[in-house]
Amino acid sequence: MAHEVIRHQLPLFDEDGRAGATDDEHGRDLYYLPDLPEEDPYAAGHRTCAGCGPAIQYRWVLKAAGQDTVVAGPTGCMYVANSTYLCTPYTVPWAHTPIASGGSFTSGMAAGYEAMIRKGRYPGPYPNILVMAGDGSASDIGIGSISGALYRNHDALFICYDNECYANTGIQVSPTTPYAGMTTFTPFGKAIPEGNKLPPKNLAKMMAEGHPHCYVATTTVGYPVDLMNKTRKGLNHVGAAFLHCYTPCQKGWVYQTSMTVELGRRVVESGLWPVWEYDPAEREYHYFHPPVQRPVTDYLALQGRFGHMLPEHVATMQTGANRNWEAIGMEVPRHLRDLEDPGRHQRLKDENYSMPLNRGVGA
Amino acid sequence: MSTVHVDPGAPFGEAGGPARLQAGIRTPEGISFLRGLAGTRVRQNGCAAAAYAALFANVDVITAYPIRPYTAIMMNLAQFIADGILDAEYIHADGEHSQFSAAFGAGSCGARAYTGSSGVGVTYGYEMYSIISGARIPIQMAIADRTLDPPGDFGSEHTDALCTRDMGWLLGWAATPQEVFDKSLLAYAIGEDPRVLLPQMVAQDGYFVSHIAGEVEMPSIEQVDGFLPPYQLPFPLDPRRPVSHGPQIHPAQGPPLQLERARAMEDAIPVIREKTDEFARVFGRAYPHFVESYLLDDAEIAIVISGGHAVTCRAAISRLRAQGVKIGMARLLWIRPFPSEDLRAALEGVQAVGVVETNLGLGGASYGGILSLDVTTALYQMTGERPLLTSFMAGLGGETVPMAEFDWMAGKLAAAVRNGRVEKAAHWVGFEE
Repeated sequence: MAHEVIRHQLPLFDEDGRAGATDDEHGRDLYYLPDLPEEDPYAAGHRTCAGCGPAIQYRWVLKAAGQDTVVAGPTGCMYVANSTYLCTPYTVPWAHTPIASGGSFTSGMAAGYEAMIRKGRYPGPYPNILVMAGDGSASDIGIGSISGALYRNHDALFICYDNECYANTGIQVSPTTPYAGMTTFTPFGKAIPEGNKLPPKNLAKMMAEGHPHCYVATTTVGYPVDLMNKTRKGLNHVGAAFLHCYTPCQKGWVYQTSMTVELGRRVVESGLWPVWEYDPAEREYHYFHPPVQRPVTDYLALQGRFGHMLPEHVATMQTGANRNWEAIGMEVPRHLRDLEDPGRHQRLKDENYSMPLNRGVGA
Repeated sequence: MSTVHVDPGAPFGEAGGPARLQAGIRTPEGISFLRGLAGTRVRQNGCAAAAYAALFANVDVITAYPIRPYTAIMMNLAQFIADGILDAEYIHADGEHSQFSAAFGAGSCGARAYTGSSGVGVTYGYEMYSIISGARIPIQMAIADRTLDPPGDFGSEHTDALCTRDMGWLLGWAATPQEVFDKSLLAYAIGEDPRVLLPQMVAQDGYFVSHIAGEVEMPSIEQVDGFLPPYQLPFPLDPRRPVSHGPQIHPAQGPPLQLERARAMEDAIPVIREKTDEFARVFGRAYPHFVESYLLDDAEIAIVISGGHAVTCRAAISRLRAQGVKIGMARLLWIRPFPSEDLRAALEGVQAVGVVETNLGLGGASYGGILSLDVTTALYQMTGERPLLTSFMAGLGGETVPMAEFDWMAGKLAAAVRNGRVEKAAHWVGFEE
């Protein structure tokens, strides 16, 4: 007789009763001391950049997943920076996959464990199976393989760590690069002053709308407990789950290394990265309403990749952010609506808190 | 022998280490179905034979994507699963690249994985071949060959599989449904052997073999289980003993790893011999290790061939023999590793050799096909007198190679012997006088 496949149910972390958490005047958590597992399956000693957003995400995700986990990592910056032959930072089994194979290789791992446990070839329980693919892998070359995996509903968690560019190859545009985000394939110049003319793909919505039986969520490295809980919910969900996580790239975006987590909050507070959860049982989206709503310049000015933006570009960005506020059911305050007018803006580099522009970006 | 770097922790099955992976449980329906088959001779085509071999091998994960003509293999397997005869996960992938990646992922976890393709499907997934063999994950891929585009053509041609020949997979070629069945089991046994650990392609000619029925003798479960032990990857992605697969290397680390991959192919040669002999003992069908020699003992001229056209070739040769032509045939049962030594031994004393190229090698050294380049290199290393060598472009696009064409080839080879030289490196059969 076939064996039963026993699956983990990981408890969620308490988001309200954290010891030592305090709020600032806006209700943002200032100090973050939840009771977390001590184990770090993503161990220290890797070679990511100072202030690396994806490295922070990797650590929280694997802390939440724990030791009974199998991980796949398609080609990307987190492949090259983390793995050196005979020396990798993983205390869980990990495999590199080709950049287009994040979804498909992980499907194979999930199918392999399903079959092996059922046929008595592996004692179980069913391990946590997850893949962390960059945005180039998840939203571009490998989107078909992830969509196939979600459609077939393998019991695994498919994560996109999104640093909004192909960072590994020297900062090239990807489908999640924001409008006006400068990359080495979308430089700005006299003829193309905004650099990147295209707005990004809405990857997470594509995944949720296109695979309505899947658990889908977005988050950022600015909300570690949210990130860890969504990781666990995705793993607990029996079937496929997709998590889209915003992870700043210091090298590609040109900002001060200490600002990674702050950017992870400002991007939400400026309306550029809606944080939500899609519940496949109810077929409903649950949107996070941040306690602060900022003008987009509070976010853009911290990053050199936006330093070339002209007033009309900043206004375009604010217009997009305002539509996002409406889409998630929040009112757009008068002062933000007014900022849709280019006349209200100056060149971004003239903002007194703007990061200096770095044209030497890239490998 | 090459060394596979294995984590120094306690091996599976030894004190302190996790238990070895067991043989997969078969379903009651599967057991009674296979018991009913044992010892019978079933009329089935090459696709069915491949599917029955995968069923007997009790594969854990099957990854499929439709393309003619190999599709029928996957259709058969899907029906086995639907009927409860086979317990396996069936992944219908979003393309061949994903299809091979998924089989790779399953194989990396320790599951026995089975995949396959034809024609442009084989080339669509090309990135995966080097990666899977370099990772030493011994999955199996069935190929029922098909002409590459353009233009669209369902017909058989060997170019698709031969394009992948240097990617580190064992590549065997079957000429009958029985051989497809046998080679599929044999290839798993060789590839999964811890001395080899290489993925395998079991190729058959599209339609000529894949869709024409022949008699296939069905073994018992006990015979198969005795010959093919449970798949036991020494370094699976298993949380009980974590390993990292495929980390980035520095250029200086490249040469030793490449040397190891090259040696893995050479190391497979004695294992192929051993397993082929063991197969004969268990199943009672004895195949030559690498090269089928047909009437070569006293031959002056010889045809080198692979795949299903060998059946016609044999018939043509017996007719030519009756006319007094001293001709023989060497059929390659494996293309990778290439049987250089066995081919030299088989062709010793032959004065002119013609390689049948059912494939396209555009702009290559012979301006003809692919196979003759390997044959030429192998024969150049002969210690005694080297035969003259030419090649024949025949059976392209799915055309048959009729007896008359073999007669024509024999004429060209006889002329080469008379003149002491070949006319050219590659003849286009049917386009020349």
